[in-house]
Amino acid sequence: MSAHLSIRNLIKRFGGLTATNDFSLEITPGSSVGLIGPNGAGKTTIFSQIMGEVRQDSGQIALDGLELTPLATARRIRAGVSRTYQVPRPFAEMSVAENIRVGLMPDNIWSMIAQGPDPDRELELALSVGFTKDQLEKLPSELSMGDLRKLEMARTMATGPRMMLLDEVFAGLTVGEIAMISGLVQQMRADGMTFLIVSHDLKALEPLIDRAVAINHGTLIADGPYDEVMNDAAVRASYLGT
Amino acid sequence: MGLRWYHFALWAAFAAGMFLLPEIVPRGTLRTIIFANFLAIFAISWDTLSGRTGYVSFGHPFLIGIGAYTTAILTKRFDVPVEISIPLAVLMTMVGGLIVLLPALRIKGSYFALVTLAMMELMYQLVQVIRPDLTGGTRGMSGLPTLTRGAVNGFYMSTALMLSIAFTTWLLMKTRLGTALSAIGMNEEAVAGSGLSVTRLKLVAFTASAFTAGLGGAVYVHYLGSIAPRALFDINFVFTIIVAALIGGAGTTIGPILGAFFLTFLLEYLRPWLPGAERYLIYGGVALVLYMYQPKGLIYLMGQAVRRVRKGAA
Repeated sequence: MSAHLSIRNLIKRFGGLTATNDFSLEITPGSSVGLIGPNGAGKTTIFSQIMGEVRQDSGQIALDGLELTPLATARRIRAGVSRTYQVPRPFAEMSVAENIRVGLMPDNIWSMIAQGPDPDRELELALSVGFTKDQLEKLPSELSMGDLRKLEMARTMATGPRMMLLDEVFAGLTVGEIAMISGLVQQMRADGMTFLIVSHDLKALEPLIDRAVAINHGTLIADGPYDEVMNDAAVRASYLGT
Repeated sequence: MGLRWYHFALWAAFAAGMFLLPEIVPRGTLRTIIFANFLAIFAISWDTLSGRTGYVSFGHPFLIGIGAYTTAILTKRFDVPVEISIPLAVLMTMVGGLIVLLPALRIKGSYFALVTLAMMELMYQLVQVIRPDLTGGTRGMSGLPTLTRGAVNGFYMSTALMLSIAFTTWLLMKTRLGTALSAIGMNEEAVAGSGLSVTRLKLVAFTASAFTAGLGGAVYVHYLGSIAPRALFDINFVFTIIVAALIGGAGTTIGPILGAFFLTFLLEYLRPWLPGAERYLIYGGVALVLYMYQPKGLIYLMGQAVRRVRKGAA
C-alpha cells in the first residue's frame, strides 16, 4: 500500500517567475510529510507537477522507481499517486454516489461497459469519509464545503492510491469535520498510506505528519521535524513573518 | 443509473406504439414521421458527442455527409450493392471522421465548434470541385437505389432504425462509460484527476457519434434516392439537429427524439400558413422560449408532469 516518492532538482518557470526552484524531496513509504509555506510559495505547483497537470521544465519525479515525467495524469494515478484540490471539483450534476463511482472506474472502456457499478464499495467509501447513507443521492449543490471536501477525499481514495497529496484539505471545515478528516488520515497512515499534505491550518496538520518541509519562492528552505522547521530562522522570516 | 424492468417495458411500449401508427394516422403524417425519425437519429448522434461531453459540434453534417456520399458514390458509380455500401459508408465515416477531426478533440469550447463548422464548409466546397464526375458536383446525385417504396414501408424502416439506434445508445449510456462521458461534460480535469484517460473517452464518444451519423446519413440517401450538397451541408440543417437535441433534452437519449418530433411537426404544421423560410423564424422563437423556460428540455418538463401526477394520485 505504501509508496516512495522521489523528487529531484525540479524546476518550473512561468515566464520570469520561478515557481519551483531546484526542489528535491524524498518521501519514504508510509511516512507523512507536511509541505508548508506562505501563499504563493509554490506548494500547489509542486502538487500539479507530481500529477502531470503542469509539466516541469527540468528535474525528475519518480514513484517507487517509476519515472512519472513521461506519463499523463491518468497513468500517474494508476501508478498509485492521487490528489485532492484546494477548490473541490465535483461533477455538478451527479450524486455523491456517482461522483465516487467515477473514481472507482477502471481506465478500460470494455470494463466500463461490461461491468456494472459497485454500490457496496461506493457506500463504504462514502461512509469512511463521514457521509451518511441518506446523503448518497444528494447533488454537490446540496452539500456544504465540508461535505464537498469529504467527497473529494472519497473520490481520491476510490482511485486506490498508495500515496495521497492533500491540498488544503481542512480549509472551510468545522472543528468537528477537521477532527473527522484527521481521524481518517491517521487511520490510513496506520494502514501504510504515504502522504504529502499542504495546509495552512498548522494546528490540524502537526499531528498528521512525521516531518515538515518548508518552501518559499519555490525554494526549499527547511526540512525536518515539525518543531525544528517551525523554529528555523528562514521559515520564521518568510512564512511566519517574524 | 441502474437498469430496471420498467425501463424495458417502457421501451417495448414505445416501440409497439410507434409500429401501430400506420393503422391510425394518415400517409401524409407517416411521411412527416419518417423525417422526424431521421432527424432523431442525427440528434442522437450529435448528443452522443456534444450533449454528453460538452464538445459542441457545429459540423455534424460533415460526418453525415461522409456516410451519405460514400454509399451514394459506391452504388451509383461502382454498382456496389446497398447491403455492402452502407456498412462501408459507416466504416468510412468513423475512419475518415477520426482522421480529420481527431486533432480537433484536443481543443476546447468555441474553438472546437469553429473547427467542426469549418470542416462542414470545407466538405461542401470539396464535393463540388473535386471529382464532380463522382460526387455529381453542385447538383449532387439522383436515381440512387432506394431501400423501400411507399410511405408505410419507409416508416417501418426509419422507425426500426431510429429505435435500434436509440435503444443501443440508451443501453450504452446506462453503463459506466455513459457516466464517464457525462462527467467529461461537467468537469474534464476532474475526470483526468480520477485516473481516466479523457482523450480515449472522447475518442469513444466521437466514434459512437460518427457510427450513428454515418449509418443515418447512408440510409437517408437510400430513402430519398438522391443527394444534394446544398441541402446536406446547410447551416439550417446543423441548427435543426442541435436545437432538436437541446429542446428535447441534451445528455439524454429520449430528449433528442422528443425534440426531433416536436421540431419536425412544428415546421410541418406551420407550412400551410408560412410556406417560405419565415417558418424558421417562428420555430427559432419557439425553440428560444422553450429553452429559456427550461434549459433541460422537454424531457425534464415531462418528468416534472409525471411527478406531479404521481404526487396527486398519492
